[in-house]
Amino acid sequence: MPEKDLTSDDVARMDSTQDLMAREWAPCRYHCPVHADVRSYIELIARGQWRAAIDVIRERLPLASVCGRICHHPCEANCRRDGVDEALAIREVKRFVSERQGAAGATVHKVDQDGPKVAIVGAGPAGLAAALELAKAGFRPTVLEKDPVAGGIPATAIPKYRLPRDVIRQDVDWICAHGVEIVTGVDIGGDKSIADLKADGFEAVIIATGRARSRMLPIPGGDNERCLPVLRFLRRTGFDEPVDIGGNVLVIGGGNVAMDAARTAVRMGAKRVRAMCLENEEEMPAFSWEREEALEEGVNFIHRRGPVEILLTGGAIHGVRTRKVTRVFDDTGAFSPQYDDADVQDVECDTVIMAIGQMPDTGFLSGSGLECDERGRMKYDPTTHRTSQEDVFACGEIVTAPGSVVEACASGQRAAKAVYLHLSGREIVIEDDIPEAIGVLPDETAQTVPQVDRNPVHLRPPEQRRKDFEAVDFNFSADAAMREARRCMNCGGGAEVLVDKCAACLTCLRVCPFDIPVVTDVARIDSALCQSCGMCIVECPANAIVARSWDVRGQNDDTAAEIRKLPKRKIVAYVCGHHSSSAAWSGELEDTIGGVVEIYMPSMGRLGSQHILHALENGASGVIVVACRIGADRYPTVTQRVRKRVSQVRDMLAEIGVSPDKVQLVEEASEGRKAMRDAMVEAAEKIDAT
Amino acid sequence: MIVAERKPMDEIIDMIAPYEKVLVLACGGCVTVCLTGGEKNAEMLATQLKLAASQADKTISADFDCITRQCEKEFFDNLTKNPDDYDAVLSIACGAGVGYMSEQYPDAVILPGMNTTFLASNVANGIWEEYCRGCGDCALAWTGGICPIAKCSKSLINGTCGGTNDGKCEVDQDMECGWLAIYERLEKRDRLDEYRKMRPLRDHRKDRGKGVRRLVLKDMIEEEPVNE
Amino acid sequence: MSEPVSKLQKALQAGEFVVTGEIGPPKGTNIGPVIHEAKEYLKGAVTAVNVTDIQTAVMRAGSMVGCKLLLDEGIEPVFQMVCRDRNRLALQSDLLSAYILGVRNVLSLTGDHTTMGDHPEAMGVYDLDSVSLLEAMCTLESGSDLGKDMKGNPNELDGAPKFFKGCCVTPCAEEVAPQIIKLEKKVAAGAQFVQTQAVYEPARFEKFMKSIEHLKVPVLVGIVMLKTAGMAKYMNRGVPGVSVPDELIQRLGDCAKEDRQKVSIEICGELISSMKDFCQGAHLMTLGWDHCVPGIIAAAGLA
Repeated sequence: MPEKDLTSDDVARMDSTQDLMAREWAPCRYHCPVHADVRSYIELIARGQWRAAIDVIRERLPLASVCGRICHHPCEANCRRDGVDEALAIREVKRFVSERQGAAGATVHKVDQDGPKVAIVGAGPAGLAAALELAKAGFRPTVLEKDPVAGGIPATAIPKYRLPRDVIRQDVDWICAHGVEIVTGVDIGGDKSIADLKADGFEAVIIATGRARSRMLPIPGGDNERCLPVLRFLRRTGFDEPVDIGGNVLVIGGGNVAMDAARTAVRMGAKRVRAMCLENEEEMPAFSWEREEALEEGVNFIHRRGPVEILLTGGAIHGVRTRKVTRVFDDTGAFSPQYDDADVQDVECDTVIMAIGQMPDTGFLSGSGLECDERGRMKYDPTTHRTSQEDVFACGEIVTAPGSVVEACASGQRAAKAVYLHLSGREIVIEDDIPEAIGVLPDETAQTVPQVDRNPVHLRPPEQRRKDFEAVDFNFSADAAMREARRCMNCGGGAEVLVDKCAACLTCLRVCPFDIPVVTDVARIDSALCQSCGMCIVECPANAIVARSWDVRGQNDDTAAEIRKLPKRKIVAYVCGHHSSSAAWSGELEDTIGGVVEIYMPSMGRLGSQHILHALENGASGVIVVACRIGADRYPTVTQRVRKRVSQVRDMLAEIGVSPDKVQLVEEASEGRKAMRDAMVEAAEKIDAT
Repeated sequence: MIVAERKPMDEIIDMIAPYEKVLVLACGGCVTVCLTGGEKNAEMLATQLKLAASQADKTISADFDCITRQCEKEFFDNLTKNPDDYDAVLSIACGAGVGYMSEQYPDAVILPGMNTTFLASNVANGIWEEYCRGCGDCALAWTGGICPIAKCSKSLINGTCGGTNDGKCEVDQDMECGWLAIYERLEKRDRLDEYRKMRPLRDHRKDRGKGVRRLVLKDMIEEEPVNE
Repeated sequence: MSEPVSKLQKALQAGEFVVTGEIGPPKGTNIGPVIHEAKEYLKGAVTAVNVTDIQTAVMRAGSMVGCKLLLDEGIEPVFQMVCRDRNRLALQSDLLSAYILGVRNVLSLTGDHTTMGDHPEAMGVYDLDSVSLLEAMCTLESGSDLGKDMKGNPNELDGAPKFFKGCCVTPCAEEVAPQIIKLEKKVAAGAQFVQTQAVYEPARFEKFMKSIEHLKVPVLVGIVMLKTAGMAKYMNRGVPGVSVPDELIQRLGDCAKEDRQKVSIEICGELISSMKDFCQGAHLMTLGWDHCVPGIIAAAGLA
C-alpha cells in the first residue's frame, strides 16, 4: 500500500488514471528491466485493442517482437497469478500482439529531428534501443553495424527456430521509422575509427558492440579447426553458410547458447549430439524449457564433467578427455569449479562446439584511446555510461555482465539519456527511481481467487522440428491471447479510497467478495490484496473509491459517444468481457445486432446502477446488461450483485414513469457468442416494445 | 446515526416542477452511511430527474454536489457549485442539513429530498433499525441496555402491555416486544428488581415538549467581545 | 378495610362471587340501543357494567358518556380508561369529570396501539401508562394532582375524588412472569381489583391465581363469548395472550348452527363454574350478545 493516502484533490491534479497506476507498480512492471507497463497492455489485449496494446508495449520496449520470442520474462517470473494457479503467459501474449501488428501496426511518434548527430556503434538490442530514444528526443542517430543485418546477436546467432528473422525485421523497421539510420557493413576500427566519427560530425558516440566473441578454453587441441567457437557456428548456420559439423557433436557448455548450438547441430543433421557441462541438471544456467526441448529433439546431456583435452588423431578430433567435477560453486555461490583429476573419461566425438560464454570483442578500440578493464570489458561509469572519453558512451554487454535482450535495451535507454543530458549541456544524472511494487499476494487471498488454467503454447512435434529451422512453437490465436490476457489479475489496478470523501460506512467491506477493505477512521484497501473486481467502487455511496485502472467514470463519456453514433435504435449493451466471445472484444464482430453497441467491461462488478442510468440519460433507448451465469463470473458474487443493481435501476425507472423494461438483464455472457447474441436480440426486442 | 430515506419520487417531482435548474446536494454524513443521501445517490437522483423531465417533454438541468456535512456551515465552503446559481437546491441531507442550509442560504430555494426518520444502528447489510428516539432522558441503565422508548411501540416505561404476543408486539408480528426483551435481559442478569421499580413519570420537556432543544457547551461557546 | 365507594367494591369486600358485564358505545350518536340492552339484560344480573374506551382503537363515542347513561338507568358502571388517547392533563381532568358525574369504578388500561384501529395515522399518546394512571388516581384521591406549583409543592384540589380502582392482566400470556410483575406494580400503584383478559384454560388460570396469591387482590376472570369456531380460531391467531383449546373449537364446530348460541352459553357457564373456586368473580364480554348474560349466569350455577 502506498504510504500516502489518496485524496480527491490528488486525483483532481492528475492528468489521467495512469498517474494513479504510478502510485505503485505491479511486480511485472517493476521487475521488467525496461519497466514495460505490462498490466496495461495485457488489459488492452484482453479487450482486443491490439494497436493500443502494441503501442503501450513499444513505448518502453523497442524490441517487442524479439522479446515476444526470446525474453527471459522476469515479468512472468514475478507474476502474482503464480500464487493462484500459474503465472500469466505474458511473453506469449506479447508475442501474439507484436507479431500480429508488425512494424506497420504500431504507432510511430516521429518528431522533428534537428538535434545533434550521434553515432551508435553496434546495431544490437542496446544500440537500437539507444538510437530509438535519441531519435524520439529529436537527435539524429546513426547506427553503424559491422554485420550485413541489424539486430545484433538475435539477428545473427540466435537460431531461426527460436527467432525467425522476419520477427526481428518488425522491430528494426519500426525503430527505423522513427528516423534512426542504420548503416550496415561498417567496421569501426577497420573502415573507420572512432575519431573519424567525431570528424564526421557526430557529437557523441555510443559503443554498443556487445559480446560478439566466443570464449574458448586454452586446452590442448582447442585450436583445432573442428573445435568451433559457438558464435561462429551459430552465425554461419544463421546466414545459411555451409558448416561441416561431422556426425558426432559435443557441445561444451550448459547455457542457453549451448542449447542453441546443440539443437542447431541436430537440425544440421548430426547423428549424435551431446551437450557436456560442469553443472548438474539443476545447476546448469540454461532455461529449463530449453533443456527439455533439446532433450525432446534428441540431445543428450553429460553433466558434471569438465574438458581437459581435445583428443586428436592425425589432426582430426576423435574425442574429448574429461574429468569429474566435484563442485561448481563455492559456499558463497560464486563460480569456482573443482575437479577430481583421478576420474577421467574420454567422450567420443568428431566435432566440438565451445559454448562456454561470450566476451566483448574490444580489438576495434585499439588506438582509440578508450580503455578496457582487466576482464576485457570497456571501462565506463555505470552512473553516467561515460567511457574514458567525455563524449563516448557505452551500453549493453560490452560494459555489463552477460544478460538478455531486454536488459540490453534498458542499458541502451540509459545511455541515450546520458547522451541527451550531455549534449544538452547538463550534468548526467539518470533518474532510476521507480514506484514501489505492490506487496505479495497472501495465500489466504490467493485461495479466494477462482483458478483458470494457463493457455498452453503448442509446440511442433520434436521429430518434425528437429528436421528444419522453422519455429518450434506456434503463436497464440487471438482467442487464446485474449483468454490468457483475461487471466491477468490487474494487480495494483484495483480500488483506492479517497480518504477525504470516505464516510467509513463499511459498504466496501460488505460488498467485497475477498474481504479486503479495512475500515478504521476511513476505509483502506490494501492494493496488494485487492483483486480489482470494482464492486466497492460503484457501490460506495460517497463516490469515494476510485479504480486505478479502467475507471468507469470515463466509461460514461465513452458510452455517450457510442450512443451518438447509433442510428435510430440506440441500445447499449454492457457486456461482461470475461467469457464472452473474443471476436466481440476485438471489434471484429460480423454479427453485431443493429442499433446495439456492445461495450465490454473487464468485470461486471464495475458496472453500477449509476452507469446504466447515465446511458439512458445520454440518449440510449435501453440498456442490456450482459452478465455471466452465477459460478462462471470472473469474481465471486458479481452476478448476484449485478442482479440487484439492475433491479434497483428498474425500480428507479418505474418511479419516474419510464418503463423498467428499458433495462434488461441477460446472463448469457458465459454461454458462448451464439447464446449470448440470441439473448441480446431478445432483450433488445423487449426494449423496442417499451 | 441519523437515518433518512428518499421522499417518494412523485413528491420530489411536484416539488421541483417550477424549477429548471436544480442542484441535488448530497451530505457526506449520516445519510451517506445509510446509503440514501451520499454523492452516488445525488448523482443517480439528478439523472432520474432529468429522465423524468424528458419523459414529460420538459428539459431541466440537474447537477449534483456533495459536502462533508450540511449541518456545519464551514463545510459549505467546500461546495463546488453555488446554491445561489440554481433555481432550487434539492438537499438529500437529513432535516437538520436541509433546515440549516435554508438558514445559511436565505435567498436560495432549498428543498428536502428526504424524509428524516430515526436514529438507527445498521443491524445487517441494508437494514437500519431504530435504537434511539432522542427522548432526552436515557433509560438504558435500568432496562438492560434495551430502550423502552425506542423499542416499545408505545414507549411504555413500566413494563410490557397486554399486547405482547409470543415475544412479538401487537403492532407487527415481525417486531420484537421490546419489554419482553428487557424482561429477559434483566432476568438473565438477575436484575428484575429494576423491572419491579415504579418508574417516575416521563418529563416530556426533555423530549420535544418544550420547543427547540439546544445543546450549549459553556466551555466552547465564544464570548461576546466586551466593550471597554 | 376501607369504606366501599361502589357496589362492586362492597360486593368484593363481602366475598361474593361477582359478575360484571360490558358494553361498548357506538360509532355514532345512537347510543340508545346499547343502554337499552344493558337495562334489559344486565341490570340486576350483574353487579357492574364496564364501558369500553375507544376499544381496539376504533373511534367511537366515549366511555364517560356511557357510564353517565348507565348511572341514569341505575346501573353501576366501570369507567375504562386507556392511556393511548390523552395526556396526563386530560386523563386527570376526565377522572375528575367522571367522579363528578357519579362514576366510582375505574379500570386503568394501556390501550391497543393506534395502528390496530381505524385511525392508524393517529398519534399514540401513552404519556401515562396503566401503572402511572393508577398512581394518578391515588394522587387525585389524596387531594392533589400530578403537577407542582411554582414553589414545587403539590397542587391542591378543591374536592378530591374517591375511586374503586381496577386494572387488567393477561393470565394466559406465553410469558406470564413479566405480566405478574406488572400486575404487582399496578397493585402497588393502587389497583384494588383485577379484570382479566379472556381465559379458556382453567388449569392455567388456577396456576396463575396461585402465583398472585400474595397480592391479595380480587380477580374477576375474563370470559369472552366464543360465537363460532372461526372466531375462536381468530382469537388464537390474533389476540395476544389468549389460547382457545382445540376441544372448545371442536364443540363449536360440531354443533348445528341453531345450537351455537346455546353451546356458547354452556361453554361460558362451564368455564366460570370451573374457575369460580379460585377467583373472586367473572367479567363477561358478550360482544353484543348481552341477552345471553342471564343464561350464562344460570349455566355457571350462580343464579
